[in-house]
Amino acid sequence: MKQNSDRLELNVDEIEQHLKSAVDALTPDVLGRIDLTRGQEPEMQRLDVKTHEPGTQRLDVKMHEPGAGADETDFPGQWTGGNHRQNRGWMRRFALAAAACICVAFVGGGMIQYRDRKVDSVIGIDVNPSVELSINRKHRVLGTRALNTDAVEIMTDMDLKGVELNVAVNAVIGSMVTHGYLDELDNAILVTVSNDSVAKATELRTSVVDDIERTLKENQVEAVVYDQQVVEKDEMKELADRYGISYGKAYFLKELIEQNEGLTMDDMKELSNMTMEEIAKKITEDSFALGGLASKVERTGETAETKTAAPEAGSEADGTEGAETAGGETSEAVETSGAEGTVEAGDALKTGETSEAADTSKAADTSEAATPSESAETSAASESPNQEDPEGFPDEVEPGLVEIDYVDYEDDTVYVYFVTRVKWKNPTVSVRDEDGNSYAAKVEDTSSDECTIAVSGLEGGRSYAFVLGGLIPKESKKATTVTGYFDKPEIAWNADEPETEEMEESEDDREE
Amino acid sequence: MNNEELLRRVGTGDEGAFRQLYQDTDRVLYSFILSVIRNPQDAEEVMQETYLKIWTSAASYRPQGKPLAWMFTIARNLCYMKFRDQKRMADIGLDELSGEEAGEVCLPLENMTDAIVLKAALDILKEEERQIVLLHTSAGLKHREIAAALQMPLPTVLSKYNRSMKKLQQYLREE
Repeated sequence: MKQNSDRLELNVDEIEQHLKSAVDALTPDVLGRIDLTRGQEPEMQRLDVKTHEPGTQRLDVKMHEPGAGADETDFPGQWTGGNHRQNRGWMRRFALAAAACICVAFVGGGMIQYRDRKVDSVIGIDVNPSVELSINRKHRVLGTRALNTDAVEIMTDMDLKGVELNVAVNAVIGSMVTHGYLDELDNAILVTVSNDSVAKATELRTSVVDDIERTLKENQVEAVVYDQQVVEKDEMKELADRYGISYGKAYFLKELIEQNEGLTMDDMKELSNMTMEEIAKKITEDSFALGGLASKVERTGETAETKTAAPEAGSEADGTEGAETAGGETSEAVETSGAEGTVEAGDALKTGETSEAADTSKAADTSEAATPSESAETSAASESPNQEDPEGFPDEVEPGLVEIDYVDYEDDTVYVYFVTRVKWKNPTVSVRDEDGNSYAAKVEDTSSDECTIAVSGLEGGRSYAFVLGGLIPKESKKATTVTGYFDKPEIAWNADEPETEEMEESEDDREE
Repeated sequence: MNNEELLRRVGTGDEGAFRQLYQDTDRVLYSFILSVIRNPQDAEEVMQETYLKIWTSAASYRPQGKPLAWMFTIARNLCYMKFRDQKRMADIGLDELSGEEAGEVCLPLENMTDAIVLKAALDILKEEERQIVLLHTSAGLKHREIAAALQMPLPTVLSKYNRSMKKLQQYLREE
């Protein structure tokens, strides 16, 4: 180790030793200070208190019920000095009022309880495990259904009754990750929202997709997320029962078959046996258009990565109503399906209609080529007014909004440093080479003056451009995009190797 | 006995199991808390609160093979509560470590280089990087154990660790 004034020339081993030594010295012994006489909280009790709102309401009433005792404390002069008849009269009136309150509370509580026990919406989550969550109007889970053996596996020991929907979604997706149904690559999730109210279904759909995306991000998992909202139909229920699949998956597949000439109902059997990942792959490989009810979520940086893994399906340009919502257009559709909420129920359901007008030509382009770069581009474009050039690299972003200081690339990570202070909201990124090919990328970390982008599949010795979305200049309220460039050097691979070996060695050393 | 089994026993009120769990995990938990809260004094308070919470809530732990992840979740939540309570964010520094006035905090770190290196780690690394670095170097967790506990892919842990050490090296060289 060399030390010149404050400068330290340390190797990795020395840094590790100093950190260990520092934390060793700092680690306190707090065992003696922990009060083990404190009772342990029984789990179920906590859950009940947290999740059973009507119960809480009743409790409040009961707490106020013994009013007489409290009165003496509240008005000691009045009661101790007054006559008993007056005292009894007041108590009688108070008792009557209290009884009336209790009645109202019970009747009201009963009504609330009834409404809270009524199934308001059903949320279907299909990966291969297919799970349905029935929720009440307050978005609390009333019941869960495991629709196949994989679902039984992931739902074992999971009691979600009374739990808020976002918590339940988190738990279900988390369990799918834990059980290996969602891994690091090529995942697909179908989210189906069933509610009679279109507006409510739209709201729910956005909310559930957001929850799923958040959970995926927390679990560092990427997935193509398809979402759809449906109304209940007996024929679809029969179809689902016949093939032993969820209602949502039946709807999705039926729509898929109807939208694509290459598919018939004879394919239903084969498709129904596929996982969503396999279905997504088939949609990609065979350039199938999505059904009119469904859209593919491409909103965050997390899902932006999935665009390359599963390029947008080509859409027909035959002018049918169904085609309006299909294929490449869905990438835009999803962007707006939550925010704009222009979704209609029934057979004529269309997602993201609001974004079409301005993008018709682009949608047509997408349907022709259906390249991931275009789908990435449409996603970025809808994020911000700053449009990219569809050919080659995007144009520079409008000057003065966000300025990049410099960009660095190392080990499949792009480090972007800003001159402008920024805030972030649903960051997105797309990475392309000079030929317009897209690469799997996601925004991994953000702060006010920098961000890191994880990107994979880049070739050495080439230049790349990225478009970051969802960043807001500190002085502004409007999200914008910024474009930057970087090179991946030819030598990057060779340079990486010794480090990797070193890492593995150190890992092995520790294990020994 | 592994942590999973210890935690199960703690859930039944077994004080011996709790002491054992504490001894097995105190370094790991402190490293984690310090990496989040970046202040040794606060970290000590949060550590105490975390173990108390582990004691009182162990009955609600559902064995999933990730007891550390569960403990980290408790610790992280308490750290964030601390931030909220104090109305200050994670970038409140460790000035005490190198500052003149904070003799008390400096006491356990008589070695100035230890203090400089730790301060650098807490100052320049991001939260995830700090967690990975401290859990590996100070708590002695293997990268794959960190990946499991922080629920991150192993390659991410490895690359973040590698990157962090380079950043630290460069920072210490240039400062």
